[in-house]
Amino acid sequence: MTLSLLRRHLLSAAAAAAFIAGAGIAPALADKTLLNVSYDPTREFYKEFNSAFAADWAGKHNGEVVTVNQSHGGSGKQARAVVDGLDADVVTLALAGDIDQIAKATKKLPEDWAKRLPHNSAPYTSTIVFIVRKGNPKGIKDWGDLVKDDVQVITPNPKTSGGARWNYLAAWAYAAKQPGGDEDKTREFIADLYRNVPVLDTGARGSTTTFAQREVGDVLISWENEAFLVQQEFGSDKFDIVVPSLSILAEPPVAVVDANAKAKGNEEVAKAYLDFLYSPAGQRLAAKHFFRPTDPSAADPADLARFPKLELVSIDKDFGGWAAAQKKHFADGGIFDQIYKPTN
Amino acid sequence: MSEAAYPVRPQRRSEIGEGGIIQWLLVTVAVVFLTSVLLLPLAVVFGEGLRKGWETFFAAFTEPDTLAAVRLTLLVAAIAVPFNIVFGLAASWAISKFEFVGKNLLLTLIDLPFSVSPVISGLVFVLLFGAQGWLGPWLEAHDLKIIFAVPGIVLATVFVTFPFVARELIPLMQAQGTSEEEAALTLGASGWHTFRHVTLPNVKWALLYGVLLCNARAMGEFGAVSVVSGHIRGLTNTMPLQIEILYNEYNFTAAFAVATLLAALALLTLVLKSLLEWRFAGELAATKRH
Amino acid sequence: MSVSVSIRNIVKEFQRFPALSGVSLEVKPGELVALLGPSGSGKTTLLRTVAGLEFQDEGEVFFDNINADGLSLRERRIGFVFQHYALFRHMTVFDNIAFGLRARPRATRPGADDIRSHVYDLLSLVQLMGLEKRYPAQLSGGQRQRVALARALAIEPRVLLLDEPFGALDAKVRKDLRKWLRQLHDKTRHTTLFVTHDQDEAFELADRIAILNNGVIEQVGTPAEILSRPGTDFVADFVADVGLSTLKATPLTWQRDVKLKAAQ
Repeated sequence: MTLSLLRRHLLSAAAAAAFIAGAGIAPALADKTLLNVSYDPTREFYKEFNSAFAADWAGKHNGEVVTVNQSHGGSGKQARAVVDGLDADVVTLALAGDIDQIAKATKKLPEDWAKRLPHNSAPYTSTIVFIVRKGNPKGIKDWGDLVKDDVQVITPNPKTSGGARWNYLAAWAYAAKQPGGDEDKTREFIADLYRNVPVLDTGARGSTTTFAQREVGDVLISWENEAFLVQQEFGSDKFDIVVPSLSILAEPPVAVVDANAKAKGNEEVAKAYLDFLYSPAGQRLAAKHFFRPTDPSAADPADLARFPKLELVSIDKDFGGWAAAQKKHFADGGIFDQIYKPTN
Repeated sequence: MSEAAYPVRPQRRSEIGEGGIIQWLLVTVAVVFLTSVLLLPLAVVFGEGLRKGWETFFAAFTEPDTLAAVRLTLLVAAIAVPFNIVFGLAASWAISKFEFVGKNLLLTLIDLPFSVSPVISGLVFVLLFGAQGWLGPWLEAHDLKIIFAVPGIVLATVFVTFPFVARELIPLMQAQGTSEEEAALTLGASGWHTFRHVTLPNVKWALLYGVLLCNARAMGEFGAVSVVSGHIRGLTNTMPLQIEILYNEYNFTAAFAVATLLAALALLTLVLKSLLEWRFAGELAATKRH
Repeated sequence: MSVSVSIRNIVKEFQRFPALSGVSLEVKPGELVALLGPSGSGKTTLLRTVAGLEFQDEGEVFFDNINADGLSLRERRIGFVFQHYALFRHMTVFDNIAFGLRARPRATRPGADDIRSHVYDLLSLVQLMGLEKRYPAQLSGGQRQRVALARALAIEPRVLLLDEPFGALDAKVRKDLRKWLRQLHDKTRHTTLFVTHDQDEAFELADRIAILNNGVIEQVGTPAEILSRPGTDFVADFVADVGLSTLKATPLTWQRDVKLKAAQ
């Protein structure tokens, strides 16, 4: 091939690529485009919710088209990306602490953002349960079974994953409530538990695939909704859900990132988007996707029946709120850093 | 000692005797290794992608987010590869044909992307262009988006694929020396004419090889791109990122279908390279001989 | 068309190591001068400085009365033949020889037909007719050297500079080519400087010889002058090995006459 021929080929390839790329950008230029930066296990829920919202918005605004773009990942990682400039209009993360971080670092939303919507800005709640292999071969019934020598536990890294922090705190709450469960005993329990973790993924979804697809570990500490989803995706003949005696009330919060939404002229639609989460339609969809609705009245009773009743501790009452929990347990040099040593 | 009594010959003979076994062992190890580490995974990728039949396989490519990822990957490669051709040629020309202060520094810098983890490369760009980074406030004030947008992905890809062209060219250009260029210059050729008609034709095969490698990496890069992408579906996901997403959504068939496309592109690259080498074997040998 | 070359007090250092420490040499139009010396004596550096491939720290080079400092490589019009030929390996013999003509700016570039006839003239001059479609890799060492010479001659050079022109060839070919080069020079009469470390070569070929050592010229003279009156101990020692018997049996001038007759 002569050089000029080579050059011509390169040029036409570049032109073709540019053309395809140009064609790809065109349909994305909808009337309004919203970016929702979310955490891992909400993918399926927001997929359905976004089209419901778009239909609702179009109905109320003369057919104006709203395209909601989604980004998912570990909650802490996603918060970091927003801090670094990912221009989310709304964030729907796993825990309030992550949104606090965004507020503190960027000043793009007020620090009291949680007060702007009902229930501390958590339109749905969830809790932490266990998933075990079918028939529960290791006989895992409660948190106490997770520190046994022959049990491998799968849970993500609390440094990057919001769900992992809920997992950790639920385990902590359990240990603290055991007879003689003082601070030292509790720390010891948590250290024992993480000694049984062979791999720390960065997000809840990563841990789920590690457990379900790669078949590593005996028990997965998981979001309740994720546990149901695993059963749905892989079939209930492969996994059992085990509900521990005690767990934690997880309140995944949502917020508008005001400065970003304002810069894109999305203030109104972003607010409407979050309000729609609290609407009967939004609550019904949340229940359908295994999130516990804060207002169950509109949800399908069959969906609600799936949620087991169990004792739930709360972050505010039992841990003094996210800021305190974050500082004590997950900040650099906090308890997690002190007790966790990677197994080789 | 008997070893001292028969110093050389018996030893030699035994080496030759073992040679057959060692050779056989080495070949076996190589074949087993290549099969298990290279061929099997590839077969698995294709197998998984096609497990539910061709229909499901092609259905994976009608999904708008996946199509957008394919487009973005092609776009990024179409920008990063030509950039690195120009840079790689300029840098290797300068390094192999001229003496200048800072030459070793430049060589080290070219190798940097090879030695630094791609994730770190991505983080460097976040530190530079991120909202909290050095240039972040300035970029925000001028409404320029680099990180979590296409420019950031292109930058990260360019960085990671930086060395491929230059590293292919530098040793060849150094081996070829400067005498042909000097001859051209004494014959009255301009610098550009010399470059265009003497330097470039002498390295075109190495260049092509470098370009193919560069392109394969540009399309396949995960780590650095993952850090700067923001993972916005349909907008900032490249093919490798889209594969991860599909996999994480339990959409294994689609994930492997896209992986198959990526692997096919890589294989195509290899086939293209072999084909060119075969077709131009004679000229290639002539170029390499001194 | 032949010009004189005047080298005046050239000083050149490589990283504080002196390569040439004040070298002066006058080359008359049409003269064939050998730069003879051991390796590291600075002879190649001197040749490259005249060509414009190196820049002297001090001193000047003149072609007739033109200061070469003001000339670009193209304007110098030097026919330079490299030790390892430096042929363009991806071009045919024809394209190699035509390179200098085709590289000219559009305004002075000859037409394709002119280039063609010029190249064929040169091919016949260096006795390589019929090989114009070959690539350098398909030629013998001697053939490559003649292509290199034809390529250098194509630009109608002011001066011909040859760097160890026979260095990479075996003894037999070297001898043949030596004679052939002398004949060619007698025919074309280009002012020629050539570098060699081979005493026999210098004494058989050159009109005059400049003997270099450690960056200075020890002696300049005709072969006979140098042999009969070595200027320094170094020169006496360095030329002691020259095959005197051969030279005495066939004096250069006589040898040359015979060759000229043969050529005619």
